[in-house]
Amino acid sequence: MKKKLVSLAISSILVSPAFANTLSNPQIGVVLDGYYQNGERNNSERSEGFGLGHTEISMSANIDDKFHGVLTTVLETHGDETELLLEEAFIQTLTMPYGFNIRGGRFLSDFGYMNNQHMHSDSFVERPVAYRTFLGSHYYDDGLRANLVLPTDMYIKLGVEALSGSKMSAVDDATAVGVYTTTLKIGDDFSESSSWQFGLSYLRNENGKVTSFEEHDHSTDGHDEHDHSHASAVTGTNLYGADFVWKWAPNGNYKYSNFTLSAEYMLLDDILDSKFKGEKDAPDTLAAYYVSGVYRFTPSWSAGMRYSDAESYDGHAHGDHVHLTSLSDSEIEAMVAWDSSHFGTVRAQYTRVENQDKATDNVFTLQYVMTFGAHGAHAF
Amino acid sequence: MLSAPALALNIFVCEPEWKALLAAHAPKATIYSATTALQDPHYVQARPSLIAKMRQADMAMCSGAELEIGWLPMLQARSSNPAVQNNKQSMLYASEIVSMLDTHHHVDRSMGDIHAYGNPHVQFAANDMIRISRVVSKRLESIDPANAFSYLVNGVKFREHWRKKLIEWEQRAEPLRGKQVVSYHETYRYLFDWLGMEQIADLEPKPGVSPTTAHLQSLTKLDPASFDAIIYSSHQNKRAANWLHQQTDKPVIQLPLTVSKGQTLDELYDRVLDDLLNVLVEPVKD
Repeated sequence: MKKKLVSLAISSILVSPAFANTLSNPQIGVVLDGYYQNGERNNSERSEGFGLGHTEISMSANIDDKFHGVLTTVLETHGDETELLLEEAFIQTLTMPYGFNIRGGRFLSDFGYMNNQHMHSDSFVERPVAYRTFLGSHYYDDGLRANLVLPTDMYIKLGVEALSGSKMSAVDDATAVGVYTTTLKIGDDFSESSSWQFGLSYLRNENGKVTSFEEHDHSTDGHDEHDHSHASAVTGTNLYGADFVWKWAPNGNYKYSNFTLSAEYMLLDDILDSKFKGEKDAPDTLAAYYVSGVYRFTPSWSAGMRYSDAESYDGHAHGDHVHLTSLSDSEIEAMVAWDSSHFGTVRAQYTRVENQDKATDNVFTLQYVMTFGAHGAHAF
Repeated sequence: MLSAPALALNIFVCEPEWKALLAAHAPKATIYSATTALQDPHYVQARPSLIAKMRQADMAMCSGAELEIGWLPMLQARSSNPAVQNNKQSMLYASEIVSMLDTHHHVDRSMGDIHAYGNPHVQFAANDMIRISRVVSKRLESIDPANAFSYLVNGVKFREHWRKKLIEWEQRAEPLRGKQVVSYHETYRYLFDWLGMEQIADLEPKPGVSPTTAHLQSLTKLDPASFDAIIYSSHQNKRAANWLHQQTDKPVIQLPLTVSKGQTLDELYDRVLDDLLNVLVEPVKD
């Protein structure tokens, strides 16, 4: 018995040096994202001309055998100013029993399909207009999450989150914990060649209902030239979401060719205080969705199409009454991307934008997204 | 036998070769492989079904050395399963046991998709399978002590059989010694090292970078006497190999990447030797 232990100890000493290097160091990764575009999409973080997108520096490591930690900072430039944003700063449990894990700190909410994924892994230059209008492009916040993965052959994950909700607050005296979400994800393989995932999400926003409007100020439009606040353009008490994604590759070999189809639908409810109910164009519910298909036809080339539509509204006070206007944005987009390797992408994207007045705009973007250092694994 | 298991062990493996190896040590276990012989193990989706399988695993085994870096960490995190986290007895990496080839002190991505820890395609590290078997037995014994004796016995049997096969394979492969080939992605680095063969050029310009026309053109300038065949793997695109074959008239050999369904590890090695001898020496009689 003793001999066994000794030989185990020796073999573990023998194998450790090769891996010591990464174990003792955090994984550090940088994402570089730059672009040129000849126009601007609505509710967007990217302005016309040359610009930098989501420049990211991230670090992650196991803190000990029980916790994992992640820090992601984003550098954003607006004109001459450079902002340092903290997008993720969380700890997560590694060894809780029964399929539980808990995350605390600042993180990307699990609402919907795309929201918890990092922007640099997206197939298009920007999040669809549905996300930009309802979730401020991508919704991250301070709070707590508990997830449970069931021990079943079909993937079933249940999650709940409690978040500060300050980015989604429509009122001045907001409650300290404003947003609660609950999500269900299920998924499986159809065959060796294709897999799917379906999700349902609900986001309760205690401070989402608009109770007052400012004079002549576009209080519900958080994204004018000088205010890149990452706030949602519209809010309400209830946000419902459904999402579906299907991926296919011949024999399940994703290297040479594959296809991804994804779609999400969101419905916003209880948007305005009841005192505005009788007003002309007062929205009862607002809906947004997108459908996207991306086909990789060689290891280094892919192409895709996306359609997205989002309803919103604009409102401001005029003395003793309010003026409300229904708005809508729809975008049809086509993109072609070339991957120089697994770590570099150059993308060209064309977007045809149409608003409530059927006015159209054409936006063409040329973008690169490249990473160096550690490159985290991608979610499905 | 000392005692029967209350429940058979649930084991998750990243590649089919480890399923074959573990099946020889724990025949009663339920073993699920995340990939097949037709899938490139670098490019796997961290898909829901894999998270669900990982969630239920009592033990997991992968090649390691960053081969699965694009998806395995996601499965470990999302599965919420303590048993499959790194540095647990029940999370086993073959590359931590194998004597790794081509380790690098300095890695720069301009060198292609190379791994500092060395070439991770260790399924043909023939001699190291003895050591891997020893570690596998020990780990199984510690995870499932009720059946420790059967893991011990199965491990001894596997190694005894493997040692016999090693002698047989090395005798059969003697004519392959010194053969020179052009191959794809250094997938067979350990095989060639074991058999004394030499890979003189690669269809990929750099590891992980798909063959380019310019690079393939440069291969046509190779001295025809300097290589005997072009070798690629079942999960790789055959176009580059076929193109070079047309230009140079050198024979093409498609080798399996790993075991096929139900095949044992030694049957895979038999098959690979047959395939090589058939073309490089003379057709093997069945």
